[in-house]
Amino acid sequence: MSDLHTPFESGQGLVGATTQDGAERSPGPWRVALSQLLHNPVAIASTVMLVVVVGACLCAPLYAHHIAHTDPFSSNVTGTTVVNGKRAAILQQSTQGLGLGVVPIGPTWHLSGFFLGADGQGRDVMSRLLYGGRTTLLIGTASAVICCVLGALVGIVAGYLGGATDWILSRVLDVIWAFPVYLLAICLSVVLLTSGLDLGPLHVSAGSLMLPIVIIALIYVPYVARPLRGHVLSLKESEFVKASVGLGASELRVLRRELLPNVLPSVIVFLPLMIALNMLTESALSFLSIGVQAPQASWGTIINDGLDLLYTRPWVATAPGIMLVITAVAFNLLGDAVRDALDPKAKLRGSI
Amino acid sequence: MWVTPRYPAAAAAAAAILLTVTACGGSSPSTSPTGGPAGSSSATGDAAGHTGGTLHLVAQSAGGTLDPQVNYTLQYWQLYQATYDQLITYARVGGSQSVDLVPDLATAMPKVSDGGKTYAFTLRQGIRFSNGKPVTTADVVASFRRIFKVASPNAGSWYNVLVGADACLKTPATCTLDGGVVADAKTGRITFHLTQADPQFEAQLAMPFASILPASAPSKDAGTTPIPTTGPYYFSSYSPNSALTMKRNPYFKQWSAQAEPAGYPDEIEETFGLTAESEVTAVENNQADWMYDAPPSDRLVEISSKYSDRAHVNPLTAMWYLTLNSNIPPFNNVKARQAINWAVDRAAVVRLYGGTSLAQPACTILPPGFPGHRDFCNYTAGGGTTWTAPDLDKAKALVQASGTAGQQVGVVVQNDSVNKSIGSYLTSLLNQLGYKATLKPLSNNIQFTYIQNTDNHVQLALTQWYQDYPAAADFLQVLLSCASFHPHSDSSINIAGYCNHSLDAKMDAANTLGVTSPSAANTQWGTIDEDYMKESPLVPLITPKLVDFTSSRVGHYQFSLQYYMLVDQLWVQ
Amino acid sequence: MGFALKRLASAVLVMFAISVMVFLIFFATPGVDPAARIAGRGASPEVLAQVRQTFGLDRPLPARYALMMDHLFIKRDLTSYVNIGDRVVPQLSHAAPVTLSLVLGAAVIWLVIGVGGGVLAAMYRGTLVDPLMTLAGIAAVSVPAYWLGAMVNLLTQDKLHTGLFSWVPPLGYVSITHPGSWALHLLFPWLTLALLYGGIYARVLRAELISALSEDYVRTCRAKGLSERRILWRHALRCSLSSVVSLFGLDFGSLVGGAALLTEVVFGLPGIGKLTWDSLQNLDLPVIMGCVLYAAFFVVAANAVVDVLYSILDPRVRHA
Repeated sequence: MSDLHTPFESGQGLVGATTQDGAERSPGPWRVALSQLLHNPVAIASTVMLVVVVGACLCAPLYAHHIAHTDPFSSNVTGTTVVNGKRAAILQQSTQGLGLGVVPIGPTWHLSGFFLGADGQGRDVMSRLLYGGRTTLLIGTASAVICCVLGALVGIVAGYLGGATDWILSRVLDVIWAFPVYLLAICLSVVLLTSGLDLGPLHVSAGSLMLPIVIIALIYVPYVARPLRGHVLSLKESEFVKASVGLGASELRVLRRELLPNVLPSVIVFLPLMIALNMLTESALSFLSIGVQAPQASWGTIINDGLDLLYTRPWVATAPGIMLVITAVAFNLLGDAVRDALDPKAKLRGSI
Repeated sequence: MWVTPRYPAAAAAAAAILLTVTACGGSSPSTSPTGGPAGSSSATGDAAGHTGGTLHLVAQSAGGTLDPQVNYTLQYWQLYQATYDQLITYARVGGSQSVDLVPDLATAMPKVSDGGKTYAFTLRQGIRFSNGKPVTTADVVASFRRIFKVASPNAGSWYNVLVGADACLKTPATCTLDGGVVADAKTGRITFHLTQADPQFEAQLAMPFASILPASAPSKDAGTTPIPTTGPYYFSSYSPNSALTMKRNPYFKQWSAQAEPAGYPDEIEETFGLTAESEVTAVENNQADWMYDAPPSDRLVEISSKYSDRAHVNPLTAMWYLTLNSNIPPFNNVKARQAINWAVDRAAVVRLYGGTSLAQPACTILPPGFPGHRDFCNYTAGGGTTWTAPDLDKAKALVQASGTAGQQVGVVVQNDSVNKSIGSYLTSLLNQLGYKATLKPLSNNIQFTYIQNTDNHVQLALTQWYQDYPAAADFLQVLLSCASFHPHSDSSINIAGYCNHSLDAKMDAANTLGVTSPSAANTQWGTIDEDYMKESPLVPLITPKLVDFTSSRVGHYQFSLQYYMLVDQLWVQ
Repeated sequence: MGFALKRLASAVLVMFAISVMVFLIFFATPGVDPAARIAGRGASPEVLAQVRQTFGLDRPLPARYALMMDHLFIKRDLTSYVNIGDRVVPQLSHAAPVTLSLVLGAAVIWLVIGVGGGVLAAMYRGTLVDPLMTLAGIAAVSVPAYWLGAMVNLLTQDKLHTGLFSWVPPLGYVSITHPGSWALHLLFPWLTLALLYGGIYARVLRAELISALSEDYVRTCRAKGLSERRILWRHALRCSLSSVVSLFGLDFGSLVGGAALLTEVVFGLPGIGKLTWDSLQNLDLPVIMGCVLYAAFFVVAANAVVDVLYSILDPRVRHA
């Protein structure tokens, strides 16, 4: 994507938001934004939604151990359960016709166990859905944070230092950018899942959650870094930075006092949108079975497992998809609200 | 089964059940073709009226090179039955006679002399390639040289027994097989000279690698360019991303209904690119006549209830098994290895594979019905000769006794859904036993080479073994002999890395015995099987069955134990 | 002119870097050594060595890279490691029309959805329509395409196939030489892909329209007494479309290059994305290389075209 679509060409970040407010004494940009958010019903609603989802997912162990009495991470291929007072196999051998195939138990719609039925390993789908949400949210959030921090760092350094540093960083960004997002993620995943990752003394094993987090964070760095670089470039030309430099402020001080506070809101705006995008990316990678690895569950891996049961037990794939959509919608709505409050001109293109 | 892998056998082994059938002997099965009368390649007037039409096959992906001397997939081996011929072949008929060797391009089974070191054939006269050229002894000699020139997978493990093969392996370009394959153009006699007696040599001559191709065939892997055939069909076009088509060979005249019967459809087309799910839908809706891939598990119920008359289930002489790396912890400890054999619930694996109608628990390395197989089960709760239940307590005790509890174990599986689900189950089981297990699914295409290389430190892997030809050595000697273990190589089929010299010696003895007394040798192979199971380098899981799903217009389904469904024998009208 | 040349040079540099990256990523992976796979199961060491030599796998890495590039671009006869003899370039050219069909059809639909939705939302700002359109747009962006595709397949191929959707053909692609069948096979893939992009475009266009409507010239128009509808369609939309058009250029480039991978995989369309995915699963390096460079070419080219066009329109960019 060219700089055309970078949100900060005009260099109007926070400044715009505060002057618009037009109050006699500015109560500080952050407070304004917060109060704006608190008065925005969409922001409230999406936050409530997220709290419910996150809360439910955090309660996963509680549900699994005390309500459903099941271990969602160990296979229960030959086990049985009690449905409507009758003992039934969790994976039921087909008896029709030639007797081919085995079908897991379907949704009981009782919270006491197999609410959404069992998956191909005889595990409780509802418990896995809650645990999976933890993983998906963790990966989405962690990779978004890493991506934003890394992106901000690269963007600011490239934009502020300019010269050779800028040239090199920009070319690196170009390469990541031109490498189609999925291809890069898939290439890295295929390779890293085979071998694990060795970075000097740091060893990340192939099954670790760190892998999808790092991969997803890396591929979206240009999404954050490019607009920020543009932003910093224009800030550098702005009157107040020039004034500050003219007054003999040290580079570090300019960076900390003048640039960072102006860049930070954009980063904050990116965060919820980035989380939604990264959650969807994680699920897509897991769908291609190169994301989260068994026995860990994420919404993407449950969808992937569920696709093998799509024709007999469609709920296994449907339920995590619905959760994913709800959560992503909530993050996107919240992101929009945060942007409206902090920095109406910021744009992040999310495309899955 | 996306691509059913087939694997090579080690050099020398017993010709245990390679029953020889004299030329034109044996009765044709009752369903044998009435079509394809001599003198007519497009026999439209056959009594049953089933000749003609186009057979539509579907497969997820292509099977690689079309060169019969290089390709090593069931997918194309199945199609080679109606296209390429060898001097002798496994009878291309359904049922139990399909394990019989019959003369194909040769007039009779070979005369064996010189203590099993010389095989003499006479080439049939009047057979033509699909390009119109007659099949000559020069083509036969060239074909055997070509095995080495194109680096046929088993050039060094099957055909290295030929005189002159050493030189060919070293410098393939100048391969002549001087003294190894001797032809007399006038009499049509072809004589093979071996460096040592090899009871499996006849079986190896019947494999597609030993197909007789025109001497003008390129001396490198022909890849997607079809080579002229001798059978009832030739490959008219091949594009691995869209389709493979077979048309009637205009020069084909049926010479033996057993060795190479004329086919029914006028054209056979295999298209690639659908997912297994869509393949099922296509066959259900009669848009395709047969799917190569195994139906996905969530469609099996539907197939077995709604379409039971169109599904054909056949047992395979094959084994799904685990390899336990006997050279690195924890499975360098025999107790830890035995613990796994005690612990694995075969009934669970059967369920994950598709249920009791699709697989049965396995206890032995040699599958049931295979030469040398003996019913015994060293690892089942309550004893007995067949597997009934796992014994987790015993397994846990053994893990404790071995002192390996708490160690990390990686489970390496292929990343298709069935393999992965068995892998998930195993991971869960290993954790239950006290290990710290992680699942490592790898692409189907690389898992098999990855688990063989000792550099990858694979501790436990799930893999499969399908027979090349029916002989105990094709399982035991290939999978477990010291000769099959090559450290640091991607090609080390003794994946467990288990080398036991005294058992090696026993296998050599069984081989030698097999030349003279096949049944006595098979008794020995049964004992060797049990000896290996005591050491537990492998964990046999299940003996799988194969489901063929066909459209409603298809008739005359024939299943060969050797090459599975006989594609060209299907009726489409 | 100088700007265009500089842009071209940097595009070539980027493509080179990507090819080196792919090459290194894959040759550094254990178990990926193609020799054993080419040779077949359980080949003997001699056979393995022979295969290595024939395919040049015994040469040092830079030589192998050069060899591969030579075969890909100069001789154009690079062949697959899995389907021996299958050339990469024709594979790409066979897959390209499928992807193009998918992307073109979807693009028409998503432009209609996007422009329609964006204009509606802007037009009815302050009424219930606007937040509803916004929500719909956000929902469209939040639905994973592969999941939507799977759900669509579940309904059209199975659950409702005997009733409502009995007219839906099986998955797969039919050549455009049968236009009716072609469109029918692609209908659901089009809709699935278009939903996501339609959502994005509607959101982008709405924001652009709303900011355009607050510009000075719009006020001038209003002062002149032009109707709101005329202002929106004739003036505001015209200005806002430029950003949609350049966005479209970039999206179209990346999609034609294979970014619709998930849609193609889910609907079994043998396009560039599917080819890429298959080759990655097989670790078929020559095909991966071909696909990645093909995809990168379109991304880089789309970027360059948009940049150069923009520089013509706005001379200031050249000095940025």
